Amino acid sequence: MTVVVSAENLTKTFGTHRGIVGVDVSVAEGDIFGFLGPNGSGKSTTIRLLTGLSHPTSGTAKVFGLDPIADAVEIHRRVGYLPGELALHPRLTGRQHVDFAAKVRGVQDRTFLDELVDRFQVDLERPTRTLSKGNRQKIGILLAVMHRPELVILDEPTSGLDPLMQDEFEHLMRELVSTGATVFLSSHELDEVQRVATRVAIIKDGHLVVTDTVEALRRRAPRTIEFSFPETADPKPFASIEGVRVVAADGKRITLALLGAVAPVLRVAAELDPLDVVARPADLDELFLTYYRDQSVEKPVDAR
Amino acid sequence: MRAEIAVLDLQLRRRALLSYVAGMALYALVIVALYPQFKGATSLDQLTKNGSPIAALFGATGSLTSPSGWLDANIYENFLPLIMLLITVGYGASCIAGQDEDGTLSLVTILPMSRRAVVLQKVGALTVQALLLAIATMGCVLIGRQFDLSFPIAHLAGLSLGVALLGVDFGLCALAVGSITGSRGAALGFTAPVIAWIRPARYVSLFYWSVGNQQLANGLSLASVGVLISVGALLTLTAVAGFRRLDLH
Repeated sequence: MTVVVSAENLTKTFGTHRGIVGVDVSVAEGDIFGFLGPNGSGKSTTIRLLTGLSHPTSGTAKVFGLDPIADAVEIHRRVGYLPGELALHPRLTGRQHVDFAAKVRGVQDRTFLDELVDRFQVDLERPTRTLSKGNRQKIGILLAVMHRPELVILDEPTSGLDPLMQDEFEHLMRELVSTGATVFLSSHELDEVQRVATRVAIIKDGHLVVTDTVEALRRRAPRTIEFSFPETADPKPFASIEGVRVVAADGKRITLALLGAVAPVLRVAAELDPLDVVARPADLDELFLTYYRDQSVEKPVDAR
Repeated sequence: MRAEIAVLDLQLRRRALLSYVAGMALYALVIVALYPQFKGATSLDQLTKNGSPIAALFGATGSLTSPSGWLDANIYENFLPLIMLLITVGYGASCIAGQDEDGTLSLVTILPMSRRAVVLQKVGALTVQALLLAIATMGCVLIGRQFDLSFPIAHLAGLSLGVALLGVDFGLCALAVGSITGSRGAALGFTAPVIAWIRPARYVSLFYWSVGNQQLANGLSLASVGVLISVGALLTLTAVAGFRRLDLH
């Protein structure tokens, strides 16, 4: 396994303000690595450290085994980056932005670039100040991938894109990975990340709370079971079962989040003569929201 | 040497720069065209005699009615440096710190180019802007030779170089402060008082070495060029060192 991105005990503070604290990350070649966290959790700070835009307070980061500050030129040659808050020059057109980046990067063959312009229906001829947020974001995507980078670092990439373009963008990420690239995808959109990512890290309040494969997280994620009863039912017997959390108890309806075997739940429910039962598969959203909500920071888990 | 970033920045400032240059050129043309009406008014020289307050107000250091005194008092010791500093200090404060504050610098800093190269290209763009203003003004002043303004062309070229270097140095001061702090406000807030403080001084003043020592009459000395370029080189090194340490958005 070739590690493309690694961070050990990476810490960044801004005066007395917390940035990120002791972040450990490892991204293997060919991964789509989802980096999840609520707004202000430290995602962009981590990315700026990995791209050499910012200096760490302590700890180390490596990209392709190189130092993001000392070897920034070599890393930037092999990396494509879409910032979270993309700012374009308002008076310049998309084409002027793209031409500038292509010239500096030495992109001679524009076949891939032209293909992306068609696929994403990018308007390159108007000044960027006249474009919608989504259309400006498409230009940012072009700038990030036009040179077929080995590593693509994307900070909230689908922000402002319509669902069709989001879908197209997911295809693009998979295509890039199929040609050997690695994707570091930062987002607060749980759905987006769980659809495309192979591994996921969750950051909260500057601390990494979990790192694992999506499959392993899914196995750990609770299933949801909803019972309907003819009479008002007491949820307490359910709450006492190990691995069960009562999500909602609304008189005749009880919703449970379940980790583990379902038999004990069914036995308790059977005594209450349920009218109906609806079971939903493992829900990552529920797991992620648990991490988001949890005030205590757990010890980071890494399945790899 | 690569120049993509310098070209981009000049493209971004094209409108403002051309407006300043056109305005300054027009003003210079008016001044040289007015000279024949004033060259015989020697009573004006009394105003600036013996370093009077009026002389200080105009920045004049010699006879007002001599060709060099007329050009110094009306263009080279006051108005041109003012416009020059508006352009160069404005650019110096915005090209690193300002662009980082508005987020557009990341379009450049993520490219495979060292921070040193980025600063050097910004210095290049700064120099081009200063030279453009100085040369355009010089071109218009040269037309003054048709209006009885006689002076050695080499001295005018030297003075134009001096005022361009003056602009570059103060632009670099703003650029260096912006590179260290990442703040456009700090860059402007530091450079403006330095200009005001340093201007009346003599040997420690960049104004003295560039425009304040009757350069049109006597020529720009090699010592002056040396001082102005040395200060610029020192400020460039400071800007590179500051930018290397700066945390960017």
